[in-house]
Amino acid sequence: MLRIPAPAVANSDGEQLGVATPQFQDVDLAPVAFRKLEKTTMLLVSGNAVQSIVGSLQFNSAEVLFETAVGVVVDSVLYTILSNTASTSDGKTYVYSLELRAPDR
Amino acid sequence: MLRSRIAAANPERTIVLRGVIRPGVLVEENEIVTAITIPDCFRLRWLDATVDAANALPVATLTCEVLYESAGTPGNAGLDRGRLLTQMDAELTAAVNATPQQTAKQSYAALANGGIATPLTTNIWWSNVALGPLIVKADRIGRVAKIVVMSCEEAGEL
Repeated sequence: MLRIPAPAVANSDGEQLGVATPQFQDVDLAPVAFRKLEKTTMLLVSGNAVQSIVGSLQFNSAEVLFETAVGVVVDSVLYTILSNTASTSDGKTYVYSLELRAPDR
Repeated sequence: MLRSRIAAANPERTIVLRGVIRPGVLVEENEIVTAITIPDCFRLRWLDATVDAANALPVATLTCEVLYESAGTPGNAGLDRGRLLTQMDAELTAAVNATPQQTAKQSYAALANGGIATPLTTNIWWSNVALGPLIVKADRIGRVAKIVVMSCEEAGEL
């Protein structure tokens, strides 16, 4: 699940001061595959799935979507997205690679 | 006050956070944890805090760290990053060191319930800014500056 914050309220001192917190929504991210790296985890996400979310939530691009997201929720654990990379063929992205970092425990 | 002075000095120093354009000043602990560091903005971080209870009103002293960095502009292949950092040094120094170095203290607690900020009876005041040494990253240069902020703890405050 990709956790996305609701858009901020313009000119809101409460949000900028941390008094008011935004709402969040979790969006299904499937199909995906995990790859364990040395210190982090790589999540490979279907390009079609990401394009579907980008279109339905009206983001400008997948990059903006991932940079806006709070992280990826896996078994109720929130992972931080460190980076995202698109792999393309014939001008079409077939997979997005998200490098994830588990929370400090 | 810092946000307002920065915005007044350079209205073009803005950032986009969660789809909204706002002045390029943010408090890290009030934003979503992210691995991405936004360049060309001022990120505030509160460090050590002490309270001197020897006065009629206890005086709280907090150290505010201001972090900022620049990768330059893509059109200049980042070669102007030194100039942009110098500009940020100047903006921050002017905003913090400008007189008055004090403002009326306000309580923003009511904002959580849809209320408005209410003025308190004392002031908040701060030191001149102390710029730290240059920090060189892969494609960015940055700096950490420190400001000492003080205020009187009024009745009912933590």
